[in-house]
Amino acid sequence: MLSALLLIPFAGALGLLCWPGDLATERIRRAALALLGLQLLWSLRVLLAFDPSEAGMQLQESFAWVDSIGLDYRLGVDGLAMPLVLVNTALTLVSGICTRDLSQRPRLYFALLLGISGAVNGAFLSENLLLFFLFYELELIPLWLLISIWGGANRGYAATKFLIFTAVSGVLILGAFLGLSLFTGQADFSITPVTSAQLGMGTQLVLLGALLIGFAIKIPLVPFHTWLPDAHTEASTPVSVLLAGVLLKLGTYGLLRFCLGLFPEAWALLSPWLAGWAAVSVLYGSLAAIAQRDMKRMVAYSSVGHMGYILLAAAAATPVSMLGAVFQMVSHGLISALLFLLVGVVYRKTRTRDLEVLRGLLNPERGLPFTGTLMILGVMASAGMPGMAGFISEFLVFRGSLAAFPLATLLCMVGSGLTAVYFLLLVNRAFFGRLAVTPPGDPVADARLEVRLPGVALRETLPAMALATGVIALGLVPLGLGRVSEQTTTAMAQLPAVVAGLQAGGLLP
Amino acid sequence: MTAAPRSPKPPLTYNGGMPGRDDLVETLLAGRTLLADTPDHLLQVVDVLESYGEVLDAYSINLIYQAEKQFLNPFPVFRFLDGDHSPAKIWRHLIHDRINFEYAEYCQKAMLWHGTGGLDAYLDSEAFAVNCAAIVARKTGRDPLLAALNPLFPQFLAELIRSAATTHALGQFWRVMSDLFIDLARAERDGQVNSIPTLVTFLKDGLVAAAGAPITYAVEIGGDRFWVLPPEAGLSFLADVAVPYVEAVFLRGTPFLGTVSFNAQAQQISPDLAKFTYGALYADPLPTMGSGIPPSLLMQDMYRHLPERLRQWYLGVTRGEGDMRVKICMSFQKAMFCVTNAAIAGTFPHPLSGTDPAQREANRTYAAAWAERLCVARTDCLDDPG
Repeated sequence: MLSALLLIPFAGALGLLCWPGDLATERIRRAALALLGLQLLWSLRVLLAFDPSEAGMQLQESFAWVDSIGLDYRLGVDGLAMPLVLVNTALTLVSGICTRDLSQRPRLYFALLLGISGAVNGAFLSENLLLFFLFYELELIPLWLLISIWGGANRGYAATKFLIFTAVSGVLILGAFLGLSLFTGQADFSITPVTSAQLGMGTQLVLLGALLIGFAIKIPLVPFHTWLPDAHTEASTPVSVLLAGVLLKLGTYGLLRFCLGLFPEAWALLSPWLAGWAAVSVLYGSLAAIAQRDMKRMVAYSSVGHMGYILLAAAAATPVSMLGAVFQMVSHGLISALLFLLVGVVYRKTRTRDLEVLRGLLNPERGLPFTGTLMILGVMASAGMPGMAGFISEFLVFRGSLAAFPLATLLCMVGSGLTAVYFLLLVNRAFFGRLAVTPPGDPVADARLEVRLPGVALRETLPAMALATGVIALGLVPLGLGRVSEQTTTAMAQLPAVVAGLQAGGLLP
Repeated sequence: MTAAPRSPKPPLTYNGGMPGRDDLVETLLAGRTLLADTPDHLLQVVDVLESYGEVLDAYSINLIYQAEKQFLNPFPVFRFLDGDHSPAKIWRHLIHDRINFEYAEYCQKAMLWHGTGGLDAYLDSEAFAVNCAAIVARKTGRDPLLAALNPLFPQFLAELIRSAATTHALGQFWRVMSDLFIDLARAERDGQVNSIPTLVTFLKDGLVAAAGAPITYAVEIGGDRFWVLPPEAGLSFLADVAVPYVEAVFLRGTPFLGTVSFNAQAQQISPDLAKFTYGALYADPLPTMGSGIPPSLLMQDMYRHLPERLRQWYLGVTRGEGDMRVKICMSFQKAMFCVTNAAIAGTFPHPLSGTDPAQREANRTYAAAWAERLCVARTDCLDDPG
C-alpha cells in the first residue's frame, strides 16, 4: 500500500518525461494534477488503514535491496510520518494547482514536482537509514532545478546557495549514518535506538552533532538559515509553497526520527543546549522578520523562527511537547503555504512585494480584499490566535516544554509575541491605508494616483481558501491529528527513559 | 516565475494631469469646459447624471416627506418609508432593498453644519425665531414629551426646526436638479446635447432658468398652517440653496470616518470650516465602498439605477462588474465638475463676451477665486478617459 505513494509520483514523472510527441502545457498540467490528486486520495486511503492505537510502524513493506551494504527497501508509517505524508500530498497538489502561466518546459516542471513529492513520501516512510538518505538527496536536485530554471532574477545565486547548504547537510547526515554503522560494527541501517547505546557517550555526541547540524541546515535553524530567505525570494510561488510547507519538514522529521530516535541518551544530555538554541533561533528569526521589507523574506524568516518551536519541543521530549512538535509541523506546513500563496497573489497582481511600496490592498473594489482577508487569517493563525492551527501547536509546545526548560520556553513565547508584531506590520503596511502600489514620492500626487490592479479570479484563490479551511479546521478540531500521532509521540518521548531502564537492567551495555 | 515575452502588461496606475491655477482661470474666462470633450466623457457624464437624477428624485421626495410629515417627531423610525407602511415596503426596507436615504441626510447635515448663504442667514434671523416660537408653542401643546423637553433645552426644538428647514430646502433643490438631469439625458438622446460644451451649456441654462424660483416651507400642526420659510423671506433657488449646497457638499464636505477623521486629533484638520476641502470635487474615489465612506451609499444607489449603456461601458474597463462603484464615483466626479462648470459659467458677474475692462477684470477676479479652490481639487480626473 505504501509503495503506491512512491509509484504514483515517480511513474507519473517518468511518464510525463517520456510521453511521445508534443503535449500542450495545459494537458501536462492536468495530467500532473490528476496524478497528484490520485496520490492525495491514496494517502487518505493509507490514513483509513492506519491504526492510531499502535505506536510503532504499520503497513510495513520490505524486501532486501542491496543487502551487502545494508540498504533495504523497507517502508512503514507511524503517527509521526502519517500526518507529514498527508501534508506532502496535499501541498504538492496545491502547488500544482497554483502553477499557472508556465512559460517554459512544462513537462520538466511537473515531472520535477512529482519527483519531489515521491522523494518526500519516500523519506517520511523509510525505515532504513540509507533509504531515507537516498530519498532525502533525491529531492535536492529537482528543487535546485525548480529554483534555477523557474526562479526570479537572482535565481542562480539562490539555487547554488541552496544546493551547497543542502549538500553539506546530506554529507553530514550520511557521515553520521555511516559512522553509526562503523562504530557499532553492524551493517544494519534499520532505525533502532538501542544500537547507539552500544557506543560511548563521546561517540554518540559526535554522531548526534553531525546529524543535528545536517538537519539544522535543512530546517533551517540559526545560524544555518541563510540559504532559506534567498531561496524563497527567488523561487516561484508554487516552489515556495513546497519548500516551506513540506521540504523544511524533512529537517524537523529527521530531528525527531533520527537525532532523538537514534541517540536518546546523548539527546537528553544535550537537550538544555538545544532548548537554548531553539530560543535563539526563534528570537533571531522573529527579529530578522521585523526588519524585512520584502513580504516573502518576512514570511521566510518567520519560518526560521517557527521551526525553532519544534527544536524546543524535541529538546523537552515530553509526551505533550512531542505531540506539539507534530502539530507545529503540520500547522506550519499549512500556514506558511497559505502565506506564500497569498504573497504570490499579491506579487502577481501588484508586481511588487515591497512593504515600503504596497499600501491599502484591502481596498474593497480596486484592491485585493479577499486576498487581504485570507492574509489576515493566515497571520493570525501564525501568531497563534485561538481557534486556529497555530494556537494548538504553540500551546502544546509551550505547555510541554515549560516545566523542562522554563527560560527557553518563555523566550520562545516572546518570539510568538514577535510573530504578531511583524505580521501586524505586514498587514498594516500592505493592506491598510490608501491603495498604492508605487513608491511614495509627492504626497499630493500619491493621494491622487489611480490604481488599476487586475482582479483576483476565484480559481486563483481556491487553493488558499482550501488551506485556510484546513488551518481553521485543525484549530477547531485538533483531536483527529492528536489521535493519529499521540501513541507514537508518547512512545518517542519515553525513549530516553526506556533506554536508560534497559541499561540499568543490564539488558544493554 | 520567468515569463516568456508577451504583450506588455497594462500600467497599474494612472496619473491624470492637473491644470494649474492660471490654466483654470484662462479655461473659465475663455468659456472652455473643465472636462475634456470626448465621447467617453459625454457618455459617462450623461448616463451617470441620469442615474443621479433618478436617485435625487427619491431623495427629494423623501426629504420633503420627512420635513413635512415627520416634523418634530422625536422617534422618526419610519421616516424612510415615505408614508407607505405596508408590510412589503417594511420588508424591503429591512432587507435593504431600498435607496440609501441616509446619504441625503448626510448632505443635509453638511449644509446645516457649514451654514453659508441666505438660507442659513434666515435661520438665524429674528423673523425665523418668531415663527419658531409659534410652532413650538403649538407643538408642545400637543406633545407631552416635547413639552417636557422644551423648557429643559430651549434651543433643542429650534435647532430641530432649522434642520427640518434645511431638509425641505434641499428636497426642493434636488427636485429641480433631478428634473434637470433627467431632461439632460433626454436631450442627449434627442441629439440636442452631443458634446461636453453643449452639456455644460444645457446645465447652465437649467440652473439659470431655476435661479429665481422661490424656496418656501410650511408645516401643518393641528389643522393650522405655519410658515417655516415664508415667501416674504425672499429665499431663492440659486443664491440661497444651490450656492450653499455647492459650498457645503461639492467644496467643503466633511472629513469622514475611514479617511481623515482621526487626523483631527493630530491637528491635521483645519478648525476653520471655510478651509475644508473634503467635498465631492476633492474626494478620492478609490476608497468607495470602504467602511465609513458615506459617498459609497450614493454610489450604491446610482448603481441601482445605472443606465444599461453606461453599465455595458463599465463592463469593458478595468475590473468590469468588480469595481463598478468606484467607476461610478469617478464618472460622478467628472459630472460634478461639469455642474460646477455650469454654475460658474452661470454666475459670472458680467458676460464673458464683454469688452469693458472693468467688467473683464471683475470676471477675472471671479474666475481666479474659483481657480484658487479648484486647482487643489481632483482635477486629475478631467483628462482621464477611463
